[in-house]
Amino acid sequence: MTTSDKFSRREVLSKGLTLGLMAGGILILGKPDFLIARDRPSAIPDLVAVRNGEPDVMFKKAVELMGGMNLFVRKGQTVAVKPNIGFPRVPEVGATTNPLLVKSIVESCYAAGAKRVYVFDNVVTATSGNTRNCYRLSGIEQAAKAAHGIVVPMDDFSYRKVTIPGGKTLKTVEVHKLILDSDVFINVPVLKHHSSTHLSIAMKNLMGIVKNRMEYHLTGLDQCIADFCLYRKPDLNVVDAYRVLMSNGPAGPSNPQYANVQMKKTLLMSKDIVAVDAAAAKIFGKEPEDIGYIQIAHRQKTGNMNLKELKIVTFTM
Amino acid sequence: MKKKEIISRSIRRSGHPAARLITLRQVISGIVFIGFVLLFLGGEKLSVFLAAILPPFQLMPALIRSITQPAALFIAGLMFIILITLIFGRVYCSFLCPLGTLQDIVTVLARRTGRKPAYAFSRPQNILRYTVLALTVAALFTGILWLANLLDPYSFTGRIFSHFFQPLLVWSYNLGIILLRPLNIFLYPKQTASIPLPDMAIAAFFLLTILYLSVKYGRLYCNTLCPAGAFLGLLSHVSIFRLALSKERCSKCNRCESVCKAGCINPQTASIDMSRCVGCCNCLDACSMSAINYRLAWRRTKSTSWSPARRGFIFGSFAVAGTLLAVFHRDIRNVAGIVLASSDPPVTPPGSLNVERFSQTCTACCLCVTACPTSVLTPSFLDYGPVGLLQPKMNYEKSYCDYECNVCGKVCPTGAISRITLADKKLTQIGEAKLRKDICVVYVNHNNCGACGEVCPTHAIRFTDRENILYPEIDKQYCIGCGACQLACPTTPRSIVVHPHPVHKKADKYIAPKPTADSKKPSDKDFPF
Repeated sequence: MTTSDKFSRREVLSKGLTLGLMAGGILILGKPDFLIARDRPSAIPDLVAVRNGEPDVMFKKAVELMGGMNLFVRKGQTVAVKPNIGFPRVPEVGATTNPLLVKSIVESCYAAGAKRVYVFDNVVTATSGNTRNCYRLSGIEQAAKAAHGIVVPMDDFSYRKVTIPGGKTLKTVEVHKLILDSDVFINVPVLKHHSSTHLSIAMKNLMGIVKNRMEYHLTGLDQCIADFCLYRKPDLNVVDAYRVLMSNGPAGPSNPQYANVQMKKTLLMSKDIVAVDAAAAKIFGKEPEDIGYIQIAHRQKTGNMNLKELKIVTFTM
Repeated sequence: MKKKEIISRSIRRSGHPAARLITLRQVISGIVFIGFVLLFLGGEKLSVFLAAILPPFQLMPALIRSITQPAALFIAGLMFIILITLIFGRVYCSFLCPLGTLQDIVTVLARRTGRKPAYAFSRPQNILRYTVLALTVAALFTGILWLANLLDPYSFTGRIFSHFFQPLLVWSYNLGIILLRPLNIFLYPKQTASIPLPDMAIAAFFLLTILYLSVKYGRLYCNTLCPAGAFLGLLSHVSIFRLALSKERCSKCNRCESVCKAGCINPQTASIDMSRCVGCCNCLDACSMSAINYRLAWRRTKSTSWSPARRGFIFGSFAVAGTLLAVFHRDIRNVAGIVLASSDPPVTPPGSLNVERFSQTCTACCLCVTACPTSVLTPSFLDYGPVGLLQPKMNYEKSYCDYECNVCGKVCPTGAISRITLADKKLTQIGEAKLRKDICVVYVNHNNCGACGEVCPTHAIRFTDRENILYPEIDKQYCIGCGACQLACPTTPRSIVVHPHPVHKKADKYIAPKPTADSKKPSDKDFPF
């Protein structure tokens, strides 16, 4: 041991004190991650797009490009994962979120230290759509359970009424308790054609966490879909554009043989629900301005649909 | 003193043929009854399986099916019922009838709780029961089913299950689900049909009355109002095996009378009225003197009365029934049915072909109601007119008909809903959706709604894009009247409503445009942004 490595008593005292004060200060401020895993907004891309891979591989790559799952899920948190399981269709139809993607998300939530990961959707009942059919046919029940996700079927008694601040048409809405009570909310829509709103993507997918969805239809779908985001935006949106249903959405034909699907093999990820919808619309071949709810949400400052203004990271596998 | 000893010994003797007969009855009726519980409450697969086994051996379904759409098993069932009655008397009532077993179960339960009714001989209510029978048969053959619907024991038992037990079961199951949620155990909730209040009241009134009568007076319903009982009673007048009470051996202890649920043993005259005896065999076991015997009719004791008038009545009834069967023809049968039918009937399930045929074949056992996975089939009250009291209908206010399902036709015992293939069902137009553009929100507010189109399984609803607003239109040739759009429509009253087809039609098959050849390949070279 050389002399230069030795600390004098004074040095030890002063350095120890400084470190102690710093640690104490950090603890008091309640932000221990200030030094350890500091959020650098400039470093996180606004949108990540990955193409030409399998759903689970693309998801892992996108998370990596985004900066890791730890940005969204912390140790001991509960997570609500909301795929689109609205219709009793097999994955090949492209009407429901890819089960492999759901499985991969549940796994990565647990890997990030999540305590519990719930998977659920509110099915569109009038299409041989009891929850059981939809959950099983879509392959999501099996996939989520394989990753130890807790699959929650819909019912009528798990909702709480909330008020939407600044909602233009939608003032109050009954939201599923799991969304209200979970620490993290991950929205996992599938990109597909929709007969009533042209496209169903991330914002439209949030109709599956409310009970009185018929109020949306009654008072104007686009405005209500945009209004809901004033209450709650998902912490992360992962858009499945692997197999895209190009017509006859949202249900698509029950026989996958007749499904007009395109293998876009794309996955989009963003915290900005408007940006992710705008990018997905482009992937589908439509302009974001032509989709009512995207335009309204942009106007209501929920997010940004002008993709040129955003920091987008793309990756082709 | 000596007599008492004999009696007490006689009760305890085991392995006696009579005791074995009672055990046999309890076992068979128990199995049959459990079969019925599972038929109505056991879920779709079990219901379909048991529907092919149990109803053919029930008098009313077997009779109606044999007349309207003869099927081998149902004709065999009808012959079997008639045959066993001609041989053994009304054993049907104690072995096969679920309502009979239900009464027996309740009586046993009542006894356990301390009520020990001593039954007594009663005069036969011949005028009442044969009038009920004659009216039921006459109504049945002229196309009016409401008497049969109300009184037939099989159909009534069905309604007990569908109106009371199924809702109770589903409600408790769903309550259990709520209780399990805090433990992070999540199960799928179940559905049950909503039963109209009058139907519920009628079923409750009948159930309570029948059970009260059975606890207090024994099988009084079976020997007064039950048309099946009266019909089998006619047959058992001439049955080969009969119960006979020997005047010589009878000690007038009246024990047999006190255990006879049918109230048909009169020890004073040593006579047993076989037309009312339900074949429960309790008297055989109760008699300490072995004075009652179950044996071939030609060895019967002289004490059994033989009345030429009664025999004439029996043959007369057969003649009338035969004539009715002979003149039985759709057009003749339907006379009264057509006159009394409702002018505004509801939508009938796929497979029923037309309202007339359905309402003149269905006995409202409500098996389809319990089996229907979406609970769109609910009992009606007077929707079909007086003709088809209580018969199920398609209730689109609460649910819709699942495109991928044809269970009702698989379970219907009377053939009111015929068994059609799923492919046929998907093209059977039971009604037609009509859109009211004067109240549809898209046309009124120029806002996107599209709820109807999202759920339409047949592409009958098409959207026209005008300035990014999607206006619904109906292509009625594809509509099958499943009611999904009506259920989904958010307006009050609904802007899209299914109008019934009194006679079902065939819908056109929608041919989807072929996906373009390159659709399976990635179409984009790079990201469009």
